[in-house]
Amino acid sequence: MEDPDSTGQLPSPSIQGKASAQVLKLPLSLGHPHRSTNKHGLDRNELGKNGLGNEVRSKAKPNLWYALYLPQLDQLPESQQKTYLNQLAGLMQDVSSTVSFHPQALICEIRSSLKYFSGIDNIHRKLSEAISEKLQQWQLPEQFSYAASPTISGSLLLARSGHNRLVYRQENLRSALGELSVEVLDLNKEQHRRLYNMGVRHLRDIWRLPSSSLRKRFGSHFVDLLNKALGKAPEPTHNYLPPPAFTTSYELPYELESLDRLLPIADELIAQLCDFLTQRDLSTSHMVFSLLHEKRSATEINLGLRIASRNNEQLMLLLETHFSKLLIPAPVIAVKLKVKKFDAFFGQSESLLVGGRPSGSNSGSSNALDQFMDQLQARLGSERLKNICSVAEHCPEYASQRQNYHQQNKTAMSKQVALNPRPLWLLAQPQQLRVNKGRLYHRSNISILSGPERIESRWWTGEDIRRDYYVAEESNGCRLWIYRERRGERNWYLHGLFS
Amino acid sequence: MTIIRNQAESRSPFPGGAYREIDELIQGNPALWRGCDMAGQGDHGRSTGFAQLDDILPGRGWPDKGLMEVITPQWGMGELQLLIPLMRSVIEQGKWILWISPPYLLYAPALTQAGINTEQVLLVDQGTSCKDALWTMEKALQTENCGLVLAWQNWLPDTVLRRLQLAADSGDTLGVLFKHNVSKHSQSIMKLKIKGSPGESSRFKGSEVTVVKARGNFRPMSTRIKLYQPD
Repeated sequence: MEDPDSTGQLPSPSIQGKASAQVLKLPLSLGHPHRSTNKHGLDRNELGKNGLGNEVRSKAKPNLWYALYLPQLDQLPESQQKTYLNQLAGLMQDVSSTVSFHPQALICEIRSSLKYFSGIDNIHRKLSEAISEKLQQWQLPEQFSYAASPTISGSLLLARSGHNRLVYRQENLRSALGELSVEVLDLNKEQHRRLYNMGVRHLRDIWRLPSSSLRKRFGSHFVDLLNKALGKAPEPTHNYLPPPAFTTSYELPYELESLDRLLPIADELIAQLCDFLTQRDLSTSHMVFSLLHEKRSATEINLGLRIASRNNEQLMLLLETHFSKLLIPAPVIAVKLKVKKFDAFFGQSESLLVGGRPSGSNSGSSNALDQFMDQLQARLGSERLKNICSVAEHCPEYASQRQNYHQQNKTAMSKQVALNPRPLWLLAQPQQLRVNKGRLYHRSNISILSGPERIESRWWTGEDIRRDYYVAEESNGCRLWIYRERRGERNWYLHGLFS
Repeated sequence: MTIIRNQAESRSPFPGGAYREIDELIQGNPALWRGCDMAGQGDHGRSTGFAQLDDILPGRGWPDKGLMEVITPQWGMGELQLLIPLMRSVIEQGKWILWISPPYLLYAPALTQAGINTEQVLLVDQGTSCKDALWTMEKALQTENCGLVLAWQNWLPDTVLRRLQLAADSGDTLGVLFKHNVSKHSQSIMKLKIKGSPGESSRFKGSEVTVVKARGNFRPMSTRIKLYQPD
């Protein structure tokens, strides 16, 4: 039974037969001559069948490319074209996994999503609605042409002609494209003129010409374009890559009320994030951690970092700090971690010498400081953390400025301050002093040590400040900064403590 | 055991060698209690800037790390003037000073006058809750970038003080707690008490600073120093 089969396989054209025999001989040495030849024969048959099957299938189901042509983009600067196309590509991703960029056009593969959307009409409706909306938003004319065909270049040409045609089968492509005017081809003026002079008005006129002479006259680029449009040459795509985004979530098997018990899960999610960041050589400075509740809106924790990081421990520490002051309105049923903003990762070089400092001087410690500040801000809120600086200003109340920690403006700062003594403590509101038996009295009797220092300022703002400042001492040893109004009732006020 | 053996070894060639060993031990270990002998303690501390105070402090200066309590009957008795030289040295080291909810507004020109770079001064607002303030203090004490942490908390349980003391030890940071009352059993490394000058009748100007407790010191000592700069 086996022999006839194997002999039946053997007769074959001379050279190829030798080659295949050589290939076939390899398994013979394994010790199962007959079976292996037989098997190989079968394999070859199957292979042939498979190959045929593939061919049939690939003919039955080639790609179907949906092209979208926006001629109005031509007038915009290139960078803006790019951003608009990027946004549209984001929309097209809803219907297709492959979106390709072309000048003023986008192309996506829709054969694979035909079944899901039950027909190309639905896909087209979905896309055209979204695109018109976008165009309206950008205040561009709401016209665009579209077409679908089994090849990228074919769809592009059809769309450019404005025919809005659908060509399902590759064999119909030739006639469909033939109806188009040669204007749609991306050629320069000279080439167009030459085509016109040759009496070529439509693409079908080109079909009649031999490709070798076309190549001679118009260059291989031209012929390649036509071959691509007809599906005779491979077509590379410029795929749209969506910006990186990281979302992960975890559904708890039961409701949790204690945030402490969420920490291991959060740790897991953050570890995933750190892996994601490490693989892409990124770091992040902002992430959103959501705690989902049943029948309530989710509690969102915004984690912000001063310096982008992908350090698991640091992120975890920050999250723990947020958790420690968080009150959740309801038990948590799921947690979700979302990161949309990414930064490039900048590593730190270690010192070559053991125990030496890292090469960037002090960078390690400033990093630690930033981590500490992040943590403080997370717990206290950014408006609680202040920097102070002196300002060149005569009026004592305005000579010291408090700013939120991260918004330091160094321009307002001045190194020059008054030469006269200034107290370390300033009272928020000057406190009026009593006069007791002709002597000033605060907590005990006050005696003046030095002064006066006259300060007159801010008359232009309406609050006229005219004061005589003195340094005084209480009988218990406290040193005070007091002043006397130079107008009105000439009252005495306590304004600061030297402490 | 090792000490005894060392002494035994050193005794044979040099009859007076035992003292040298003890001296070395005393010099090398500041935590060793040495009775009323204050002289041989070396100068490992940072000078306070006041010679009289240096004389009565172990190590002739402020401790490097730990929790310090400054006790005054009311705020503004000169307690900050006492620490100005310390703040200056902390700033020079490139470290930060954190002020946690001070009772009044901190006035930048005065700091600049005292030679303190305000860029390295960080302030936690007054309205912060006690819990948050203590949390901040603990975290700051654990961070090596903060050289000095100042906080105003009048009454704290000893356990909290102990915790702060441990945090300061681990972070090599000096924490200063300003308060009105003495807590007897706290673990802080040093307790200072500042009293004002006793009335105008005695014309002696200066404040009385008492070292209630200092690690390495066995009894309270006090001195009079002029905290304020001459007018």
